[in-house]
Amino acid sequence: MKQSMPLRRIGDAAAASPAGGAGQGALKLPRVDGIGEGRTEMRLLVVEDDSTIREFLTRALAESGFGVDASSLGSQAEKMALEGVHDALIVDLTLPDMDGLELIQRLRAQGVGSPVLILSARRSVDERVLGLERGGDDYMTKPFAVAELLARVRALLRRSTPTQSEATRLRVADLEIDLIRREARRSGTEIQLTQQEFALLEYLCRNAGRVVTRAMVLDHVWKMRIDTSTNIVDVHIHRLRNKVDRDSQQPLIRTIRGVGYVLKD
Amino acid sequence: MFSRISRSFYRTSAWRLALRSTLVFAAGSAAVFLVMYIVVARTVQERSDSWLIGESETLKQVALNTPRDALYDRIVEEVAELASQEVSYDATGHHVVGNTVFFAQTEGRAKAPVWVGPPDSQKFLDAIRSRRISQGAPVSIRVPGWKAPFRVVAADMAPGAGHIYLGLLDSAAAALMRRLLLRFVLGWMCMVAFGFFITLMGLRRMLRRVDAITGAAAAIRSDDLSTRVPVENQRDEVARLARTFNNMLDRISSTVNQLRTLTDSMAHDLKSPITTVRGNLEIALSLDDRNQSADLVAGAIEQLDRLSEVITTSLDVAEADGGALRLRIASLDLGDLVGRVTGLYAPAFTENQQRLSVVVPGPVPVRMDVSLCNRMLSNLMENELRYAGSGSQVSVTVSTAGDRACITVEDDGAGFPADLLMPAATGDGANGASPPRVFQRFVKGSHSQGHGLGLAFVNAVAVAHGGRAIARNGDPGRPPRRGAQIVIELPLAPRVSDEENCDVQLTAP
Repeated sequence: MKQSMPLRRIGDAAAASPAGGAGQGALKLPRVDGIGEGRTEMRLLVVEDDSTIREFLTRALAESGFGVDASSLGSQAEKMALEGVHDALIVDLTLPDMDGLELIQRLRAQGVGSPVLILSARRSVDERVLGLERGGDDYMTKPFAVAELLARVRALLRRSTPTQSEATRLRVADLEIDLIRREARRSGTEIQLTQQEFALLEYLCRNAGRVVTRAMVLDHVWKMRIDTSTNIVDVHIHRLRNKVDRDSQQPLIRTIRGVGYVLKD
Repeated sequence: MFSRISRSFYRTSAWRLALRSTLVFAAGSAAVFLVMYIVVARTVQERSDSWLIGESETLKQVALNTPRDALYDRIVEEVAELASQEVSYDATGHHVVGNTVFFAQTEGRAKAPVWVGPPDSQKFLDAIRSRRISQGAPVSIRVPGWKAPFRVVAADMAPGAGHIYLGLLDSAAAALMRRLLLRFVLGWMCMVAFGFFITLMGLRRMLRRVDAITGAAAAIRSDDLSTRVPVENQRDEVARLARTFNNMLDRISSTVNQLRTLTDSMAHDLKSPITTVRGNLEIALSLDDRNQSADLVAGAIEQLDRLSEVITTSLDVAEADGGALRLRIASLDLGDLVGRVTGLYAPAFTENQQRLSVVVPGPVPVRMDVSLCNRMLSNLMENELRYAGSGSQVSVTVSTAGDRACITVEDDGAGFPADLLMPAATGDGANGASPPRVFQRFVKGSHSQGHGLGLAFVNAVAVAHGGRAIARNGDPGRPPRRGAQIVIELPLAPRVSDEENCDVQLTAP
């Protein structure tokens, strides 16, 4: 049953990727930006035994500008991680030769400090995973949206390289928000927003240029990890868009159908 | 059916148990009989010993008081003869054959002893001399040629004047003891055999009933759970086992039936969206227009999200119903939580031309799993969004009553269809009234577009936290409460002063 998945290294991912042509595809994923400047690329290690998931992860991460190594075996992944070249690890919990958590513990014991994003097919997340998460890492349950995976990976990378100082003002095109006075202006005109709307706009601005999913919005703006089958987030976005984009020629908040939203010019 | 038992009867536990208990019983009763026998034998011996001692004293007095003349030996012999005849007749005057008495008086080596008794006196005298016999303490002495030992007592004359020996072979007593022993042994054997038989029969009867249960269990197959063990009207352990076994089968078959319905409805609920997704993707592949195909792909993703949610929720509900939901309990303010969730949903109600009013009295401390509670509340909101109808008034009230917190969600819409409020027919009825069908998985109204999981999940979460959910329709005569009403009762966290009262009557429908 053991798959002999050869070590795969994808460098210059976006260029090598067959669907890499810029501007193609409605689901074009944004590239890593603002992180790891001064280095050529961020390098990730994906440990996942399911070949379809491993390949699509590798491809999605590569298209977003990450360098990706992949492995299907815990023991192989251990050797690769010990080289110490990876900025973050994405580890599936069920591996053919060892438990994913065991792998992480072994790596930690051997001094590997890179942040780890745990992937789990288990619905109710294991207590041990939560314990690990409290230690600074993160988990996701399958199925997940690629946009969310990317957001979490970036968050992990940002956490491990705390260089940027917190901005007090955010600006996207002619939209400007003041985080201290909690004011938003479009082309200099103040927009009246409720607290909820402001929090939503702030979240979109902080992730400007990147796709955020409905679940991410609920998680970060309302602090709720729930799945909704109704269009509840769409309603909020719609109201926000009415205030932000109504009087403008250039709409900033865009809906990516099937995935979520993006704020960009 | 019992062929296995009769074939290897000696391996049955009936046989083993009967054998074991019989052995214990036999050993115990044998010990009791032995003790009784010894006591009787001792009493009999004491009787003859006391006769011997008394008689030897009398003979000693006679021997001492008789002048030592030519008639001395004769007189002593006569008296001894008389004494010996005393024991040769029983109380009714019948001659007792076999009782033998001997009398001997020795006076040093010089003089021949005075002897009354069986003719072979020398054997007796040798036997007496070989033992040291003290005065007043009878001893048993075996004499060659005699089957049973003689009880012999000595009486000392004046120092150097020799000894008197009186011996008795009480064959009547010996025969009595033999008869007694024989009867004891016979009676004991009968008792043991009878006891063994009764125990074996009783155990076999009981274990046969156990075997009937084994047979029933063996007859159960996954596709046929209808076998039941015959239950007798007894109230013993085996009858209880049979009843418990039948109850267990009832529960299992109800669970299996539920599971079957569940898999059927899940398969049905999953197949249609999968078909849609597949169709959408196929069309997208064949389309040349990028925008159109992107639309179809996006639609497929949305369908898949919904599918994954159905799977998660139905597994959660199944887990909660089975009592296996893992809760991460934390202290939280239910009022705050309701405020946040209703805040999230308020614009959607407005969009839907519904009015939402929320009444929260203040902090309502409860101990719950935050994520489950959020999902429960969001399910309640989505239920109202979908079914209360456009233009309806929806109100959410948080209140406390005694040691319970209540969340009441009501509207003035059409209410639940009557058949959804009927008690669930297949409920196990363990806690009296079974919940209405509306809280069952995959049960939904005829014009519902949902999967029938939302309210099942609500109920499951309430129950998992030690509360309950109540669904009913308001009184049509009392507007505005005439639509659907759902009340969630949850236990309050301890140490709370509650002035507020629940403003709805919490009676089970």
